[in-house]
Amino acid sequence: MKVKTKIIALLGLAVVTGLSSCKKDEDLVETPPPTQNEEEVITTMTLTFVDDAGVQPTVTATFRDPDGDGGLGADIFDTIRLQNNTTYNVSITLLNETVTPAEDITVEVQEEDDEHFFCFSPSGADLSIIRTDTDGVYEVGLQSQWTVGAVSTGTTLISLKHQPGVKDGTCAPGETDIEVNFVTEIE
Amino acid sequence: MQQLVKHLGFIFFSLYSAISFGQNDCNFTLSGYVLDAHNSEALGNSKVHIRELDITVSADEKGFYSIGNICSGTYVLFCKHIGCDAIIDTVSITGNTEHNFYPEHHIEFQAIQVEANKEENLTQKPEHLSQRELDESRGLTLGEGLAKMNGVGQLKTGNNISKPIIHGMHSNRILILNNGIRQEGQQWGNEHAPEIDPFIAGDLAVVKGASSVRYGSDAIAGVVLVNPRELKSTPGISGELNLVGFSNGRQGNASATLDGNFEKLPALRWRAQGTLKRGGNVHAPDYILKNTGIFEYNFSGAVGYIKPNYGINIFYSQFNTQIALFSASHFGNLTDLQQAFEAERPLETADFTYEIARPRQEIEHELFKAEGYWRTGEKGKLTVTYARQFNRRKEFDKHLPLNDSLAGLNLPALSFNLTTHTGEINWSHLRSHNFKGNLGVSGIYQGNTYSGRFFIPNFRKTGGGVYWIEQWKPKDSKLALEAGARFDYIYQRIYMWVDDEIYSPENHFINGSGSLGASYKFNKKFIARANAGTAWRPPNVAELYSNGLHHGASGIEIGDSTLGPERALNFTLTLEYKSEKLKVLVDGYYNIINDFIFLKPTQELILTIKGAYPGFRYAQANVHLRGTDITVGYNFSDHWAVSSKASLLRAWNFSQNDYLIWMPADRFENSLEYQFKDTPKLKNAFVNVSVVSVLKQKRVPENSDFAPPPHGYTILNASIGMDIPFRDDSITLGLSANNILNTSYRDYLNRFRYFTDEMGTNISLRVKVPFTILTSK
Repeated sequence: MKVKTKIIALLGLAVVTGLSSCKKDEDLVETPPPTQNEEEVITTMTLTFVDDAGVQPTVTATFRDPDGDGGLGADIFDTIRLQNNTTYNVSITLLNETVTPAEDITVEVQEEDDEHFFCFSPSGADLSIIRTDTDGVYEVGLQSQWTVGAVSTGTTLISLKHQPGVKDGTCAPGETDIEVNFVTEIE
Repeated sequence: MQQLVKHLGFIFFSLYSAISFGQNDCNFTLSGYVLDAHNSEALGNSKVHIRELDITVSADEKGFYSIGNICSGTYVLFCKHIGCDAIIDTVSITGNTEHNFYPEHHIEFQAIQVEANKEENLTQKPEHLSQRELDESRGLTLGEGLAKMNGVGQLKTGNNISKPIIHGMHSNRILILNNGIRQEGQQWGNEHAPEIDPFIAGDLAVVKGASSVRYGSDAIAGVVLVNPRELKSTPGISGELNLVGFSNGRQGNASATLDGNFEKLPALRWRAQGTLKRGGNVHAPDYILKNTGIFEYNFSGAVGYIKPNYGINIFYSQFNTQIALFSASHFGNLTDLQQAFEAERPLETADFTYEIARPRQEIEHELFKAEGYWRTGEKGKLTVTYARQFNRRKEFDKHLPLNDSLAGLNLPALSFNLTTHTGEINWSHLRSHNFKGNLGVSGIYQGNTYSGRFFIPNFRKTGGGVYWIEQWKPKDSKLALEAGARFDYIYQRIYMWVDDEIYSPENHFINGSGSLGASYKFNKKFIARANAGTAWRPPNVAELYSNGLHHGASGIEIGDSTLGPERALNFTLTLEYKSEKLKVLVDGYYNIINDFIFLKPTQELILTIKGAYPGFRYAQANVHLRGTDITVGYNFSDHWAVSSKASLLRAWNFSQNDYLIWMPADRFENSLEYQFKDTPKLKNAFVNVSVVSVLKQKRVPENSDFAPPPHGYTILNASIGMDIPFRDDSITLGLSANNILNTSYRDYLNRFRYFTDEMGTNISLRVKVPFTILTSK
């Protein structure tokens, strides 16, 4: 009987020692992480088209997926509508709108322009696109010039490649951070 | 085959022999074996006594005894083995009679339920890795080691992450008992391998088939048992050193164990153990895989105070690993994935290095266990167990955030902290009035938190269960019956953000499970087992609430909070035949799973800023999985032996009339072995050559994968092993070569098959050195 008591006491002690961390555990569980989403995401890409000759009105086109990948889909997905036989200077703005106020990711890309590269592939629409900015060695694509030809309809695939250490001025290396295919109408 | 036919004949014959009469003379022989009731090991040094004739004989090393010239009649037999209670049996002799004794070692009485039963009679007998297989698995991951068992496969994510698959199922459908404790990590993830140091295991076993009653919920496909060796029971200090090196990845492993027992206090026993592992980039036949190294350090300690009638065991272990994830497996969107898949060789390769860069995983697992037992009366034993586990998992993305201040923190993209407390009170009783069994209660309390990217929410889980399982087997009965029942209750509370508010739904799950089985021992060589069991598991939190892009799987996975539990009804039939020359083990199984939870393609693309991703929604369906595992071994002579294994599985989704995804392809393994004659300087030496063939998996659902299954493959492996006697013990050496022909191949169940071939030739050298520091005078 004495032995039994000893063992019960020992076991009791062990259980108490183990459970003493329970309280902490419960606190951890009760309090979800302080910020909803610490992760950095790009939710919004806006293209601003300014007529090089200053004749045509400025055009914008936006893709926005406000809660990031997954969850709800895109709530804004504009068609790019451009005037024929016009040359536009285009700048790209990137935002993270999961945080308030929205974070401007364009600045971050600008700072690491030697790791980033925009690729433009028009299809169907009579367009030619060249990048007009540079990281010192290679082009970047945050700024570009779009030469619009005849009336036509098609798509323009815009992608942002993340190419740390492997940037070579082509679209092949790296991973894709953005890939949006805008419907493009030339009027 | 002939042997089998002969045997079937013998079965029928033996049915008649029961009513045949013996001749009335005195030329009969009584013989049999004295075997340990727990593990059927031979118990030499046993004595068998016939009361009426006053004859006593000793059993030999193999536990075999034989008494000749006995007249027909009824006799009372005694069997005594040191450390065991004497066994008294009454035997009537009408011819040459075989009678086995199964003494129970009450000193070594194990807390682990499965060992407290004589496994042979179990209707679901665990399959153990042999000592040689265990030695050969040293340095491998737990999943790779278990895959040496027929019918157990691996779900791999590259070369360092391997999860066991039993009969086509893995993750939350397999229960892993580490030292008798439910392993609680983040099992739901396909790339989350069990957090266990395989060097701890003195015994690795698998129970195939639903077995919730005995082991608890989640045991739908089966149970993996990882058990350390028993603590040292003889005075002194001794140990074992294991060194393993692999050529591919230049991986090295060192593991040492120290075991002690105090001469003045023999009940007090202890063990200390530690393992170090380091490997660099591995290579496929044509290229080096960038960032595929591993670094691991693990240690454990145990103290036991073991008396015949009571005792206590304390165990602590820590597992720490850093796993590099193959660089080229990380991609931004589906275009990248397609590009990687179509490339001849990975888009990123590198030179050899031990460096572990991003992407990588860092995991820490800690287990503390305290267990006490005492004997209640002559036949019973009460065991109380408490365990606490911490699991910390950190996953680092390939790239740091763009924002410099965020990048400076160098944080993981996501991390999980899981704390689990489990407790169990079990009362087991030895055979009494033909019954032996276990009953008990168990409980679990768990909390999980995450930080970083959302994948699964925070949750708390509380659960409890009661169970009772009994086995009926009269002393000389060839038939043993087993039945059990269990009830579990599980409560989950979730904490997650929905539209800036904390949403915390609660879930309750109550379920019962049962099992019924029989084993019939036709004779010493042939035994058949049949079992029907049920098992269930509640949907896990990922299945209920995940919502987002699964970066590793390149799909958007959406949970369903209305999912109910999954229930399995499982039938197994096992035929085991063992003679000197021929060994046959046939497992047949039929698994019906209602409300099987799986990821169902939504057939629509979900548009994100990275492009369109396929959507997958967790859904339930009624499915069945059936198949067979066959092992045949034949010894041609004292030297030559062949062995063949086949594992076949067919799985079908009734609700969708389609196949199930990610099911193991048909697999065959044939090996030829030459065993050398034992000499005083060399024992158990062998050379083994084996050919593994895996067919192409053609039974896959359409439109639910990014690439078709790879072709089948055949690879050649070889191994050499030997024991070199050294003082009282022996040093074990092993040399193995896997994929000797450096074949390029991909495996359907490796999640990196989209990006890379499997490893090329890998040569490993193993040394196991037992040593003694202190012996008793």
